[in-house]
Amino acid sequence: MLAPALQHIERSPKNRLVPSHERILAVLLLVEIAVFCVIGRHFVSADNAFELVRLSVEVGLLALAMTPVIVTGGIDLSVGSLISLSAVLFGKLFRDAGLPVGVAAALTLGVGAVAGLLNAALITGLRLPPLIVTLGSFSLFRGLAEGVTGGSDSFMCPTSFLFLGRGAQIPVFVAAAAGFWILLHRSVIGRGLYAIGLSPEGARHAGIPVARRVGLVYVLSGVVASLSALIYVSRYTQARADAGTGYELLAITAVVLGGTSIFGGRGRIPGTLLGLFTIAVLERGMKLADLGDQLAQILVGVLLLVALGANAILEKVSARRVA
Amino acid sequence: MIRRYLREISVAAATVALLLLLAVAKPQFFSGQNLRNILVTQSYVLVVAIGMTMVILARQIDISVGSHFAICGVVASLLARAGVPLPLMIAGTLASGAVLGGINGLLVAGFRLPSIVVTLATMVTLEQGIRWITGGEPVRNAPTFQWLSLGQSAGEWLVLATAAAVLVLFAWGLRRLQAGRAVYATGSDPEAARLAGIRPDRVIFGVFVVMGMLTALAAILNGIQSTQGDPTSGQGLGLQAIAAVVVGGTAISGGRGTLIGTFVGFVLLGVIGPALIFLQVEASWEKAIQGAIILVAVASDALNLRQRRNVGASLAAH
Repeated sequence: MLAPALQHIERSPKNRLVPSHERILAVLLLVEIAVFCVIGRHFVSADNAFELVRLSVEVGLLALAMTPVIVTGGIDLSVGSLISLSAVLFGKLFRDAGLPVGVAAALTLGVGAVAGLLNAALITGLRLPPLIVTLGSFSLFRGLAEGVTGGSDSFMCPTSFLFLGRGAQIPVFVAAAAGFWILLHRSVIGRGLYAIGLSPEGARHAGIPVARRVGLVYVLSGVVASLSALIYVSRYTQARADAGTGYELLAITAVVLGGTSIFGGRGRIPGTLLGLFTIAVLERGMKLADLGDQLAQILVGVLLLVALGANAILEKVSARRVA
Repeated sequence: MIRRYLREISVAAATVALLLLLAVAKPQFFSGQNLRNILVTQSYVLVVAIGMTMVILARQIDISVGSHFAICGVVASLLARAGVPLPLMIAGTLASGAVLGGINGLLVAGFRLPSIVVTLATMVTLEQGIRWITGGEPVRNAPTFQWLSLGQSAGEWLVLATAAAVLVLFAWGLRRLQAGRAVYATGSDPEAARLAGIRPDRVIFGVFVVMGMLTALAAILNGIQSTQGDPTSGQGLGLQAIAAVVVGGTAISGGRGTLIGTFVGFVLLGVIGPALIFLQVEASWEKAIQGAIILVAVASDALNLRQRRNVGASLAAH
């Protein structure tokens, strides 16, 4: 089982061909675009491309931060709930506490860091399974947001903050993608994350501070979820406790479709971006072709299963070739 | 004995403490009608959690049960409306659950795919599929479907009796039957189970099929309480059931846990909401308290284990 994954890491980035999974996804994405050019109205236009990226940013940010989490063999189910908690607290801070918007936004990012730290402490300090810890905080964060707002209170976004949802989030997303790409593929820390995903014990013997590295990815995930919340509030111009419901599963879907192994040790940021936009183009294209959201979602589910099955078969074939 | 069932006992103690608090503050909480109401409306969660316990014992997970629940509810309503006789309606619904669970089982056991991703994908597909087919509109039942034409009072007792029977049957079966032990063996170590003559693939497939059937049963128990089958129901049911199982002490790494634990976990998590309403605290804090309970339960587990390990280590040193 380990052999193909190790090979993947050992090949140096320069002479490695683009992994076949990503190549297949890229072709699929092009096919989608071609199909929607024909059947959709106004699919290929600068406006539409702008809208498509603009609407993908919140889930996209979560997917970027989820990639290193899953690479270490973990998972973070709490990010969707953290969007709601951050959005609600952001509203409380500027509306009820009367803080300037910039300060409120900075404090909100701090909330994300603290929330990520809680996950990190339970996962690394007590060695609890990430699935269970983040299932607990999934419920806790959403519950706190519901409790604080009494379940129904909603906040309007201040007008001076609306710019973030109207296009300014795209450079933020590009910067985040570049940042996570450098972290995973061009830094010593990133190397360590793959080693941890393949074998935490082996990584420890190799001198990698496993607890600190794993803690880092959950804190990053928390901060990014709060950033995503700020963009969400600005784009929808309001925030309620139901913000971001189900986003964690959308992010995980994009990451896994992008070729990241749920067992850890394998996965790349370009794959995650391809997964994200394969889904986004499908949804937007179906909508413009009047085929409905639900059909798009159904296809996403089927696509995910096909990708998994194909991956499993490819791995078997390559394992046989090595042997 | 006490150490072995420490988790079950401590969760039960927490539940009893909460109930005592209610008994002092709001004795009306313990009126027979109120207790029965809470149990009847929540019983479907217990039935799903029983199936989830087995799935987790076998070192798998199933987050797609919510979508199965919605589909089975719609199937039951359609069958009832078509005038199918009662036993056939129940059998048909259970069969649809078995097929849905079998799809997960086939993908996990047959193709060796990770269950968390498989059930994520089937959940998305099925959840949206049933909404697409029904247009999101509830399917009206036949009048005979409500309480299975037994009347509300007898119907409520039937729901409670069914849930209790399922609990007792599976608790007994997991401990005493060969198939039950095979689930534990597969979850603790699939390779060792294989060497001991168990077919782990078949066990895992079977566990997913049973999970599907129990979800179908839960959908019937829930469906007969209303006049329609709702294709948007069951959202979050998977994580809710997993929470009850985990609070009840079943290890997510498989092979360790009991249905008694799942039952006390279900009671503790299920009683929080009604208790908040009775204590006149805002009910909107329910989910936060449930989340805190999950975290405290798993954290105390880890601390406990560490203590025991330290004892073991010091014994080994001497």
